[in-house]
Amino acid sequence: MSRAFHIKSNFIEHSLIGAVTFIKDATLCEEHASHKGFLQAVDARIKTMTFFAFLVVAVSLKSALWISWIYVSCLILAVMSQIPLGFFLLRTWVFIPLFSFCIAIPALFSFVTPGEPAWSFYFLGVKWIITRPGLDGAIVFVVRVATSVSLVVLLSLTTRHTQLLKVLRLFGVPQVFVLTVAMSYRYLYLFAQMLENILTAVKSRVGVVSAHQKGRKVVAWNIANMWNRAQQMNEQVYLAMLSRGYTGEPRVLKGLPL
Amino acid sequence: MSEVLFELKDVYYSYLGKYPALCGIDMTIAQGEKIAVIGANGTGKSTLLHLLDGLIFSDRGQLKAFGIPLTEDFINDTESSCNFRRKVGLVFQNADIQLFCPTVREDIVFGPLQLGVKDDEVQQRLLEISRLLSIEHLLDRVPHQLSVGEKRKVAIATVFAIDPEVFILDEPTAGLDPLTVRHIIDLILQANQKGKTIITSTHDLHTVGEIADTVYVFDEAKTIVRQGKTEAILSDRDFLSAHNLVHVHGHTHEHQLHVHPHLSLEKHSL
Repeated sequence: MSRAFHIKSNFIEHSLIGAVTFIKDATLCEEHASHKGFLQAVDARIKTMTFFAFLVVAVSLKSALWISWIYVSCLILAVMSQIPLGFFLLRTWVFIPLFSFCIAIPALFSFVTPGEPAWSFYFLGVKWIITRPGLDGAIVFVVRVATSVSLVVLLSLTTRHTQLLKVLRLFGVPQVFVLTVAMSYRYLYLFAQMLENILTAVKSRVGVVSAHQKGRKVVAWNIANMWNRAQQMNEQVYLAMLSRGYTGEPRVLKGLPL
Repeated sequence: MSEVLFELKDVYYSYLGKYPALCGIDMTIAQGEKIAVIGANGTGKSTLLHLLDGLIFSDRGQLKAFGIPLTEDFINDTESSCNFRRKVGLVFQNADIQLFCPTVREDIVFGPLQLGVKDDEVQQRLLEISRLLSIEHLLDRVPHQLSVGEKRKVAIATVFAIDPEVFILDEPTAGLDPLTVRHIIDLILQANQKGKTIITSTHDLHTVGEIADTVYVFDEAKTIVRQGKTEAILSDRDFLSAHNLVHVHGHTHEHQLHVHPHLSLEKHSL
């Protein structure tokens, strides 16, 4: 079997394993929160309030240069908190295109943002004009998104998720919302683990997770299976909550240690 | 005579109205009793426990709890439901279902808090129960980081924290190591000595002798085929064998094949 064929046949397998690993690492890894860095030593309440203030400032500022200063501060804080810079940049810049490019790219052109032309080109027989206000707006927008995402990622990397949830409660976020977020977080890990076990089980029987059309069928069938399991578990968890007296308005213990 | 806590008369239950799960169940459970519900997989044991906990409701027949019909209307009434939940606690078979909070501490205090127990009392119960189950070191851990045995202990702790009169346990020892099984059996026995009623569904017949005085055997027709004293049922090997609760187990001693009936259904099934 050629190398090219082997790579192609394992494409779905690599994608699935990559997706599971990313979910587990991105949302559930508390390795960095347990380091003895600068931000890890700060009280979660103060840290959250400070980051929130930074976010408000980053969203309010209209100068890309000033927003960039906040971004640079964020990178310095990441280094001081023992978070590898390469890892941090990779983690943040994975999300930034999702949030920014689909909005920023159309805003470059004259049909969305009219103004003084900065550059033009022909594509598909149409003249496309990038305007100066459009370019300025797109730069501010991308820098703002990059800074906001970086602040949120840095906060979540340096704070245990249980502490973040407690801070949300302290800030008066409705308890039902906090409970829903907490449960989503809890079961996301469980489903990632289930998916990992399914992949291992398929691999143990057939050697590879996927091979062309048959592989895609296996994956599709497992997606449906996961959906069913999630549905069943959702019902069961609700019964477990009812069994312990839940009536729709969760009560929490005041003064849980932070 | 002890007060009757649960009374079931000709109870039927089916899933989606077409898949029978329980057919014509008659049971009477008195305060302080130790009951075991045994049967092969898919005979309706878990469904029965969910009915007793007021999570699902019978299609036909009558189920009374503490002298009152356990109906959907009764459970929908907040005060009645709260009173009932304070008296009855269910440990689910799958601990991942029972542990839905971000930390073990929050999971243990969830039940008593929802049932209106005051914060000081809840803190007190948390300390006592975590000490009793030796899980103090797990309190600030997230449930998905725990081992199977630890999860099961915490799941039991979540119900102990409610301090109910009736403990309903769905397969509490399944898949656990012998030491954890022993610890859980001791906890169940201690609770019973304090007057708590214990209703356990199990496959593991080795533990039934300890955790039950009365046994109800379910069969594939989703009905009770036999009920009686634990010793009488466990000693009737032909009956157990006929209902897939015992199988012949063969192994060698000094190069000679030795064959005998085996009680544990799950651990040695092929």
